[in-house]
Amino acid sequence: MEVIKINNLVKRFPMGKGYFTALNKINLSFEKGEFAGFVGPSGSGKTTLLNIIGSLDTPSDGSVIVMGKSVSDLTYKQSARLRNKHIGFIFQTYNLLPVYTVFENVEFSLLLQNISASERKKAVMEALEWLDIADKAKSKPNMLSGGECQRVAIARAMVKKPEIILADEPTANLDSENSHRILQTMKKLNEELKVSFLFATHDEKVMKYLDRIIALVDGRVASDEKNISKLEIKV
Amino acid sequence: MIAIKLAFRNLLGAGLRTWLNVSVLSFAFVLIIFYNGMIDGWNRQARNDTRDWEIGQGQFWHPDYDRYDPYTIKESHSQLSDEINILIKENKLTPILITQATIYPQGRMQGIILKGIDPKQKILKLPSSYLENVQDEYSAIIGKRMAESTKLKVGDNVLVRWRDKNGTFDARDIKIAAIFNCDVPSVDNGQMYISLNVLQKMMNLENEATLLVAGKDYSGGKLENWEFKNQEFLLEDFNKLIQAKKAGGVIIQGLLLIIALLAIFDTQVLSIFRRQKEIGTYIALGMTRLQVVGIFTVEGGAHSILAALLGAAYGIPLFMYFNTVGISFGAPDMGLTIAKTIYPYYSIKLIITSIILVVLSATIVSYLPARKISKMNPTDALRGKLQ
Repeated sequence: MEVIKINNLVKRFPMGKGYFTALNKINLSFEKGEFAGFVGPSGSGKTTLLNIIGSLDTPSDGSVIVMGKSVSDLTYKQSARLRNKHIGFIFQTYNLLPVYTVFENVEFSLLLQNISASERKKAVMEALEWLDIADKAKSKPNMLSGGECQRVAIARAMVKKPEIILADEPTANLDSENSHRILQTMKKLNEELKVSFLFATHDEKVMKYLDRIIALVDGRVASDEKNISKLEIKV
Repeated sequence: MIAIKLAFRNLLGAGLRTWLNVSVLSFAFVLIIFYNGMIDGWNRQARNDTRDWEIGQGQFWHPDYDRYDPYTIKESHSQLSDEINILIKENKLTPILITQATIYPQGRMQGIILKGIDPKQKILKLPSSYLENVQDEYSAIIGKRMAESTKLKVGDNVLVRWRDKNGTFDARDIKIAAIFNCDVPSVDNGQMYISLNVLQKMMNLENEATLLVAGKDYSGGKLENWEFKNQEFLLEDFNKLIQAKKAGGVIIQGLLLIIALLAIFDTQVLSIFRRQKEIGTYIALGMTRLQVVGIFTVEGGAHSILAALLGAAYGIPLFMYFNTVGISFGAPDMGLTIAKTIYPYYSIKLIITSIILVVLSATIVSYLPARKISKMNPTDALRGKLQ
């Protein structure tokens, strides 16, 4: 089942009197359960592409179809619903809400879905146990290590059981051990729950886990390698 | 509902910054209620005093009588009908005859209003019973202010000169039978009260009066040839004064409220600037921009709810204390009806109005900076890029 379809995607940003083309004629599609990543140097358009797939931004040209819906045609409300129901986000800096406890951070997405308190509690605790941080449920983010914070962020992304999780440099702020642990968790999540993962990264540790690596250079797809067993990026 | 829940969590999570704003706002809250409570307390006491001492439940005036025009006094009197006399006997009305006169205390000349009042009346608090069974029927009662200005004491005689109905001057000594203490200056300043029958005799106006004061038991029916003036009409000047005082207070309260609201506005602007990533995260997690605007608006507005609670925590004991002991202003004599000790009056209406005012204004000043969120690009917000 195709969860994402990108056709001739172009994204331009105003710059001075002209435009800067961040993404140029991108054509890609992703099936359910893929564990893929965009790699490339800074400014290659990885995060921009992830933002458009996450309907946080819109294409300048072309189309991006996510879960059967064209991102360009969605109203603010519809794109919010798409993100809330179908897409989970994991950020480099975790982006946990500082005044909430771990439990409340993970519960947040479910609050927006009008799920009953008992169901929310059950789902949140399941997610926390799955990520082995149930004992931190009452802690505030400032009491956690970087690895723990990122696991909370993963729990927050997975608790609503989305079809797609978009992870922007999820290991950039983590040490090697924590990075591997987080990536193993994500891989397990991908295999067991068939959640599609899309990464934006230039971390080699991440690349080792990916089943599909799409290299972006200057906003274009330089290579798209599927079923790779080891790191082999053609740029 | 979610906006309220999140807003309160964020607000309480912000710690000291929240409580500083809440403290300033709660002070404005308490001061607004206190000031208005004082004015309302003064108003209430003054209205009660004026009703008890001067106007009763309303007055029937001779059609020509105008309290602001002393030239109308001479002709403003008429016969009391049998129907009125029955009502007077039943203590439902009390007649007052008014004339201008001149007194000569300590050799000085002073114009006064001489009023004849029924010594048996129970409608007004005026101690008219002092005029009953006196040895000298030409006895008078005066108020404390009048006694001070004329240096008259109980037992003193003062020469009074007046004109009868034909305009003929007459004069005689009148003995001060009692001095009363009253908070209503218009009952006291320049007024002298003698027995109605005596004044009627002095004026050759048997069974006549200028006005009739209605008591509690008066049913409120019309009286032929007399014009009824209700309490609101009779308190018109005082009401205007209270309105003016309230309007003056609004400036002080407004300034205080503006300071508190500026603090909230400033906090909101700073908060939106500093919490861009959080705003981006809310949107990424599936909130609409309007929902985020709602969170920040409610968050700002919620300062006022916390301020109301904090204000209640220290305001209620304070208000109860002042309500019990009152606030003494010594013995003010400003020509206003004002008690020596004012007991503030905090009505439900005052409290609810103040809460609505503060909550509404705090919500509006919170909404103004929060509107910026609706124009914010979520990707810029997530990066914490300066807007």
